[in-house]
Amino acid sequence: MSQPIKCSLCEEAATVHLSQVVHGNVTKVHLCEACAQKGGATDPAVFQLADALTSASPAPALTCPKCGFTDIDFRKRGRLGCPSCWETFGDVLGGLLLKVQHEAAHVGRAPAGTLPAGQLRRRLEDARREMEKAITGEDYEAAARLRDEIAGLEKQLAPL
Amino acid sequence: MSSVEDILAAENELTHLLGAQQAVVLSTRIRLARNLDGLPFPGWAKVPQRKEIADRCVEALEALPKFRRGHVLRMGDLGDRDRSVLVERHLVSKELASGKSGAAVISRDQTCSVMVNEEDHLRIQVVKAGWHLRGTWHIAEQLDDALGGSLKLAFSDRLGYLTACPTNVGTGLRASAMVHLPGLCLAGHMDKVSRALNQDGLAVRGWLGEGTEAAGNVFQISNQQTLGLSEEAILKHLGGWIKNLVEQEWNARRRLAQEEGEKFVDRLARSLGVLRSARLLTSSEAMNMLSHLRLACDMGCLPEERRHLVDRLMIEGQPAHVQARAGQELDSDGRDRRRAAVVREALKDFPEVVPPTV
Repeated sequence: MSQPIKCSLCEEAATVHLSQVVHGNVTKVHLCEACAQKGGATDPAVFQLADALTSASPAPALTCPKCGFTDIDFRKRGRLGCPSCWETFGDVLGGLLLKVQHEAAHVGRAPAGTLPAGQLRRRLEDARREMEKAITGEDYEAAARLRDEIAGLEKQLAPL
Repeated sequence: MSSVEDILAAENELTHLLGAQQAVVLSTRIRLARNLDGLPFPGWAKVPQRKEIADRCVEALEALPKFRRGHVLRMGDLGDRDRSVLVERHLVSKELASGKSGAAVISRDQTCSVMVNEEDHLRIQVVKAGWHLRGTWHIAEQLDDALGGSLKLAFSDRLGYLTACPTNVGTGLRASAMVHLPGLCLAGHMDKVSRALNQDGLAVRGWLGEGTEAAGNVFQISNQQTLGLSEEAILKHLGGWIKNLVEQEWNARRRLAQEEGEKFVDRLARSLGVLRSARLLTSSEAMNMLSHLRLACDMGCLPEERRHLVDRLMIEGQPAHVQARAGQELDSDGRDRRRAAVVREALKDFPEVVPPTV
């Protein structure tokens, strides 16, 4: 007898088998009764997550120094142990984020009172590029304005 | 009186027409996932840590003006029925209600409810009746800023707000609209619409969220992606689709009314007839017929000012609500009997259904 297929989200035997075609790519997901009922069968996010989890190549055992969570735990639960896990499992998660979220960097809000440094850095890169362009195009007025902006951004980023 | 009884008795956003009620869009919801820095996520935290998380979060929330004279409900203190009532009102999730260490802090008007110790330490939720994406977002943003001022939140420059699940990281924002789409359902277009929304990064769920059936032709539409898009971009994307969907729903309704003529009015009138005289009413039957009544109010077949009553019956016709109102546990037949009685009473002076005016 062949080995029963395991649920993509937990270790139970899968009884629900789904295929989804998005942009011409076929994704297959196997779910146990409980996970399917919990919404796995109808929730596209779970679909993507389950697919990313099952197709990720096995990584060497990693343990979060802060909370003791391991990559095996992540594979079982699909959830992380603590905020520091994001750093510990950075490499594993990077690829997964591209699959689940299609992006790997935050561009939104930051907590009140903290500098949204990621956005400052991105703006800095853009400003540098724009200054190059301004100089090539001999628009020295714009280049000077950008030079001042870059200096300001560098100053803001310096203590971080 | 328990706090849940208070919540049931109070006039509030979704059941008492405090916000502008609208055709098609029942309500707008914003959810933000946030976590405390340096503490394990609830699913991995030990019992004493979960208690510490709950205490710190509840303390910070209680201090905010928005929650003055509100409710603090610890799931461990509530009975099954009370927890189900909260789930049916969308004030807490099934997941929060099924554990003992979760808590919910709910504003007096029930527009804001923060779940503590769900999948993440904090799930800020803001809901408004009708379609009010900007206003709802604005309230959530203010709450987020206020909480960020008193609690150190887990945030990374590169990944944004850190969450237990990779599907929420970044903005932690889930923006959604609860939409009533009887036109598209009756016309048989819902599968197609659902697919189109999925392909463009939006999730379509049933009335009670993940994995539930779309009882009463009510669907919850929300963004999927939370990383790499700004809050503004997420809201704009959802807003554009909802506007489009509302238009398509109206087209489908008008086409149906025109093509079916008397049959269209007959369908709505029959539903009113059954709801007004049934002795036993299951919750899905009630939802589906109330959906016809809501459609009738939108189309001018019933007076528009009755619509909020239909919305209230959709919420209060759910099983835990029916039992809470009865003040006792009821078996399935008992609930169906009680539900039928409540609906009959509410609809007894409803006028007759007339042909559509829009």
